Amino acid sequence: MFHLGWFLSYDVHAWRDTWAGRGATEWVSPDFYIDMSRALERAGFDYLMFEDGSFVPDSYGSSPDWFLRHASAVPKHDPLTLLATLARATSHIGLIATMTTTFYPPFIAARLMATLDHLSGGRVGANLVTSHNIRTAQNYGLPGQIEHDQRYAIAAEWVEAVTALWASWQPGAVRADLASGVFTDPALVAPADFRGAHFATRGPLNIPAGPQRRPVICQAGGSPAGRDFGARYADTILAQVGSVEQMRDYRSDISARAAAHGRDPAEVKVLFLTSFVLADTDERAQQMYRAQVAATEANIEANLVAMSYASGRDFAAFDLDAPIPTVATNAARATTEHHLQARDGAVTLRDIAEKPPHTVRFIGSPDTVAAQLDEAMQHAGGDGFLVQGPVSRRAIAEIADGLAPALRRRGLIRDRYAHATLRENLRDF
Amino acid sequence: MSMFHLGWFVGRGLSPQSWPPGPFAGAGQAAWWDPQLYIDLAASLERAGFDYVMIEDGMFVPDVFGGTSEYYLAQAHLVPKMDPIPYLPLITRETAHIGVIATVTTSFYPPFLAARLATSLDHITGGRVGFNLVTSHNDRTAQNFGQPAQLEHDRRYAMAAEWMEAVNALWAGWDADAVLADEDSGVYVDPAKVRPADFAGEFFRTRGPLNTMPGPQRRPVICQAGGSPAGRAFGAAHADTIIAQSASAEAMRQYRDEITDLALAAGRDPKSIKILFSVSPVVDASAAAAAERAEAARAARRADIERTLASMSYVSGIDFSRFDLDQPLPPIRTNAAQASTAAFAVAGMTLREITQRDPAGPALVGTPDDVAVAMGEIMAYVGGDGFLINGPVERRYIAEISDGLGRALRRRGLVRDGYEHGTFRENLLAF
Repeated sequence: MFHLGWFLSYDVHAWRDTWAGRGATEWVSPDFYIDMSRALERAGFDYLMFEDGSFVPDSYGSSPDWFLRHASAVPKHDPLTLLATLARATSHIGLIATMTTTFYPPFIAARLMATLDHLSGGRVGANLVTSHNIRTAQNYGLPGQIEHDQRYAIAAEWVEAVTALWASWQPGAVRADLASGVFTDPALVAPADFRGAHFATRGPLNIPAGPQRRPVICQAGGSPAGRDFGARYADTILAQVGSVEQMRDYRSDISARAAAHGRDPAEVKVLFLTSFVLADTDERAQQMYRAQVAATEANIEANLVAMSYASGRDFAAFDLDAPIPTVATNAARATTEHHLQARDGAVTLRDIAEKPPHTVRFIGSPDTVAAQLDEAMQHAGGDGFLVQGPVSRRAIAEIADGLAPALRRRGLIRDRYAHATLRENLRDF
Repeated sequence: MSMFHLGWFVGRGLSPQSWPPGPFAGAGQAAWWDPQLYIDLAASLERAGFDYVMIEDGMFVPDVFGGTSEYYLAQAHLVPKMDPIPYLPLITRETAHIGVIATVTTSFYPPFLAARLATSLDHITGGRVGFNLVTSHNDRTAQNFGQPAQLEHDRRYAMAAEWMEAVNALWAGWDADAVLADEDSGVYVDPAKVRPADFAGEFFRTRGPLNTMPGPQRRPVICQAGGSPAGRAFGAAHADTIIAQSASAEAMRQYRDEITDLALAAGRDPKSIKILFSVSPVVDASAAAAAERAEAARAARRADIERTLASMSYVSGIDFSRFDLDQPLPPIRTNAAQASTAAFAVAGMTLREITQRDPAGPALVGTPDDVAVAMGEIMAYVGGDGFLINGPVERRYIAEISDGLGRALRRRGLVRDGYEHGTFRENLLAF
């Protein structure tokens, strides 16, 4: 069996296409995400993961205009505000929201996540990012963003600090003992007394840790520093690769890094960003896929925007017909390399912008795709797929009520949740 | 007679509300964090026309009394205490009108994080969110955030004022009509209506713009509670609602007048600030039964000297276990909650005498009708704006207030009968 997750943002989803419904406005309401999490719970998903960012992008064209007009990554709301509501409307599925280790004070983060862990019965996780954009740094009062690998050193210390806070209440500290009148046993609560190069926090936290004690930690960075951070601390990693072969390499790399940190590699579940084109027949799906590719290739601007977003560099400023520029970035390094890597004899920037890199992609009827996923996962050696694609009720239904039943019939995904908490369900297989 | 406003103060924060449990505490003390109690509280108060529920908060484990956290932990005295922020959408989802206010510290919440959080919550709650801004008085809070000690009292308020300016600048970065969401032209946001905040102050810098779009209220309701001169000035300059503790109707009137002057000095319409005075009514079917309950509560409070001393230590940061109970109290100076400390630490009285005093505030004891009449008289004298109920968060007491006192107030036309507007601020400013 393998695991499934869905990757999205708390921002504007489909709002103009055929199946957008009331997408222009309903993206704000928890109702939409409640429907979505219930659908994915029906399908046996491990989790929904909300990506996040704290800046208005303005790299492309050296202006925020394109991003604002197209509702591209802005407006984007804080997904942590959704989790309690989604938890109350569901019973099993995991709920992960993004937090930046560079700017979230450890005490607030530890307390918020512990509160959410209680409210969800142990089903929440934090996707830890270091924030790559200079604007985020400036929104938080710094002149520029801290150097890439240094951000990961800070992130590692941040995890140590919040972990020390979660550990400041031992299990069983809350007794609520009517006979003795003792609510919390003071002997089981102690300061964290964490002191590092970047953070200090005395503690103890003023609440006990939740059912998971440490909420699930998710990580997405693909650079060597990012992978190392994930292998050391994460319960689940999301990876962006272009082929099944690369999936296998990524999984092996994480296993080696986890073992080097003294961890059982099976504790780290790597989910690969994957897009799907599903239809009633394979032929119809292939047709849709060809149309999608044509539309993507025609939209050079959107591809340049994506490159600008990840790198923080203005790709509108380069000559499209000159050789591919060399771009050094302090922002999202692995994603930028993923965009710029030479492929199919590409020579110029136009060549690249006309053929954007793709994530792993599966095309066909639900049955066909289920068989393909089986084969891919057998080759990769674990651990599952993270759906990335349009977020509309139709797209959700195609996955939850088309693909998932086909996978379940083949015994490839869970038929029910064996455990109460997200971490236990993740580690179940 | 004109109407006044009502709020409810969850004064312990999201802590165990009934420990040790009294006869009507209900079961489930082990599930002390269950949001259902607060959802039921808000739904009941909405039935009674309340403006808001305000949730106190703090980010430290108290350890002043006796120099240890032992008393506070064992007695569930203000610890454990959940983060109120995630509870707000749970409460608004199951209610339709009432406002919800969570406490946020200006000393440790980064302005961008807070501004974005508030706007996201404003959308999710349909324009019913408020932030109660505090500066955090305890050194342990500062140490939880990596500082050696808390800043000097008035300095914290200077910082709070700058913090407010920074988040206001972020909220102002999007014009009200910036979002077009025009499916035909494909323009979602009009870029001409979004601009950086470019705020640079002594304590905070933030570039902006915010990456959220304005919520129904644009700016959440701002609540403020500090009673010191610096606290009052901050409230008069920035708050939509102020909560205050005054010993008598006369003191309330003075407070109201002072805030009016400060608001005018800050260039604000004093009517745009609603002051709610903390009261703890005791109502029962007969005046005698209510008096009996009030007396029993007073006797229990007087007998539990340790609890009172622990509370005083919590507020002031001064360990009152170290003083002789029967010697006159020396003058007390604190960098923590100054106005609250001054209210009890009367130099010259003995500590024992202090613990035997009744808490500040008018005694409102009687039948719901008696208390409704008294509240009406007080508010007519004070000239506004309402009361903040500060009592046990237990279902019997909640029902007594919402369905007993609330009914009596409504029949006299003293509180609203239904909500006129969609957002919290509009309802707050409706009268």
